Amino acid sequence: MNILTIQNLTFSFPKARVPVIENFSFKVDEGEIVGILGQSGSGKSTLLRLISGLEIPRSGRIEIAGTEAAGEKTFVQPEDRGVGMVFQDYALFPHMSVKDNLLFGLSRLPRKERYPRVREMLELVQMTDYEKRYPHELSGGQQQRIALARALAPKPKLLLMDEPFSNLDANLKGSIRDELLMILKKANMTCIMVTHDKEDVEAICGRSNVFGKAEGTACETPGKESKLTFVR
Amino acid sequence: MNTESVKHFFRKDFNGWWLVSLIGAAIILLPILFIFFSIFQEPNENWFQIREYLLKNYAANSIILVVLTGLFTAILGVSLAWLVAAYDFPLRRFFSWGLILPLAIPPYIAAYTYRTMLSYTGVVQVTLRNKFDYQINPEWLSISSLRGAVFIFTIFLFPYVYIICRAFLENQSSSFLENARLLGRKPFSIFVRIVLPLSRPAIVAGAVLVIYEVLSDYGVTSYFGIHTITTAIFQTWFGMYDADSAMRLAAWLMVVIVGLFFIEKLLRQGRRYNISSKSRPLVRKKIKGLQAAAVFSYCSAIFLLGFFIPVVQLLAWTRLTFAKVWNDTFFTLLKQTVFVGMISTLLILLFAVIIANVTRSHSNGAYILSKLATAGYSIPGAIIAIGILALFIELDSLLAPFYAYMGWGKAPLILSLSLGMLVIGYTIRFMATGYNAVEIGFEKIGPKYTEASRMLGFGVTKTFFKVDLPLIKGALFSGFILTFVEIIKELPLALLLRPFNFDTLATKTYQYAKDEMIHEAAIPSLMIILISVLSVAVFQMIDKKVKK
Repeated sequence: MNILTIQNLTFSFPKARVPVIENFSFKVDEGEIVGILGQSGSGKSTLLRLISGLEIPRSGRIEIAGTEAAGEKTFVQPEDRGVGMVFQDYALFPHMSVKDNLLFGLSRLPRKERYPRVREMLELVQMTDYEKRYPHELSGGQQQRIALARALAPKPKLLLMDEPFSNLDANLKGSIRDELLMILKKANMTCIMVTHDKEDVEAICGRSNVFGKAEGTACETPGKESKLTFVR
Repeated sequence: MNTESVKHFFRKDFNGWWLVSLIGAAIILLPILFIFFSIFQEPNENWFQIREYLLKNYAANSIILVVLTGLFTAILGVSLAWLVAAYDFPLRRFFSWGLILPLAIPPYIAAYTYRTMLSYTGVVQVTLRNKFDYQINPEWLSISSLRGAVFIFTIFLFPYVYIICRAFLENQSSSFLENARLLGRKPFSIFVRIVLPLSRPAIVAGAVLVIYEVLSDYGVTSYFGIHTITTAIFQTWFGMYDADSAMRLAAWLMVVIVGLFFIEKLLRQGRRYNISSKSRPLVRKKIKGLQAAAVFSYCSAIFLLGFFIPVVQLLAWTRLTFAKVWNDTFFTLLKQTVFVGMISTLLILLFAVIIANVTRSHSNGAYILSKLATAGYSIPGAIIAIGILALFIELDSLLAPFYAYMGWGKAPLILSLSLGMLVIGYTIRFMATGYNAVEIGFEKIGPKYTEASRMLGFGVTKTFFKVDLPLIKGALFSGFILTFVEIIKELPLALLLRPFNFDTLATKTYQYAKDEMIHEAAIPSLMIILISVLSVAVFQMIDKKVKK
């Protein structure tokens, strides 16, 4: 089953002449982990923001788990899309403990089930001892795991990750990549990951798309044109 | 904006927050537009007389005041900022914030304090006469003149220039200055060739604030008997009972001020120096001996004139009148002031938070909305007051049938005699103060937490209460203090819009001074100064936090 279907998506920033994303189509199957590779400024993050509902496309359709999220006449607000996102700098709420950060996304769950779900998530990312800590008391790698747990807790249909490794030390990257893959597989999560590092994609993703190429060419080096085209 | 982006806006961004913001902006704009459109009405006979015989004179006075004050505050502000930022001399740290303190004394309080001190029975002449047997020519000390007004405005408003220039020089200029030094330039030539041109945007920004203050002043000029456009507005309304001409004057003054605003914007465009944010703080040069003594004397003189002397004088007068003034009537006055100040501040912050939360989206519409909501900040209190008065009187006459129906009598003045006028006046005038503080708070946290919250299933409103509000608490606090202090200090607006028999600290101070009960005015004045010093302290706190 297709979790995500994008058809002819076009987006441009206000005041910008040239669209960042033009006529882009793309599909993701359930359980797939897809990497999106491209230079900075090629529109990778914008694609995630469009899928999550933080931006509105100029034209085209986005369908999430069979429901139209953005189209000619529809626009579903981000909070109603059932999409999880791990932000580049994690965006853990600084005024809440780890536990409260995780509980935050569980407001639609019956009260009794919330805390057990938090424990379950913390176990998944192996951070059970940290529930009372505050984000600034955690290392970069720990923050990332909490951000992942927070995004997974509400059981999203689709998980988006924006440069998940960019804030980590190079020597940490390897082990964290393996861990991430394991966690995602365990949770049987459909995931789209944006990165500029080819190694990330090779280590984790089942397939990858390169952004920032001239249309139709399948070369590995990104072209000069900033148009986004999906190449399988 | 094309139709498509409008459609997109309605689908993605429009919600209750936007609606409330638009209503708020409308309330703010209504009185301003009301005044503006009086330009297009047919003028009455009186107007031609005003234009023929008074306007030239009044406009000339206003221009002289603005130009001279602007010039002197710029000189004082930038020179002091440079000395404090670049040199190390005795008591430098104290002067660094001490030189902001003159801002805590509203010019109208300074005006009556200095005039009384310098009068025949004031402390200066009495001391010279009795202790030194010296009779000074009273002409030399006469301060009730254009010259005196320029002196008062300069000494008590220069901190606007000083604060902005100092922050700029301390944080942004080190690489240029060090380079200039390495290239063999002497301090004076560095000041003229590097410091002055580089600080031009900072000087202009500060001077513009000074100019707005001078143009909107009523207290100093009316006390000194100087006719300016602003005092003329009062005179036409309350002396000649000619509301139409008063509005017309206000409208023209407003046109000038809005024009100034755009000129400043234009001047700044393309003049923005791209200064790296990573620059190091300036390393201060230690100076000794004669040089240090000269710099120290200069800073001391300004501090004494701008804060120490008037405060000591007020304290001395307080001793004379304490028993007479410090009583229940005064407490009532204090309570009224705090009450109306609190209500207005809370209203301002409420709208500021709603509007700032909406304008975070940085769309075209949001930009326009933020400009509209803060339109009142450059418009003198007197003009806003006139607009509100005219509007409320109009509303009362429109509502007269409704009042009659309710059995409240024929055509009573209900809205235009209510405290609501004053509260709305404050809200329009000081919305920008609250809004800017809240906006800085939102900018600091950025959009990521809000977006994260929405990705976790919360709508805009719940996100605001659970995530945004706790994160901008600090900004709200400083916004509250700054706005509250501005409201407490504001005179012309309060004079015009207060209900009958309702006084604030500012109006009472002015009343005492006008009735030549100078000694009695000392206690409310000190109260205002004390509250204002609080805001300087908050500024310092924020400054320190930012530097960390």
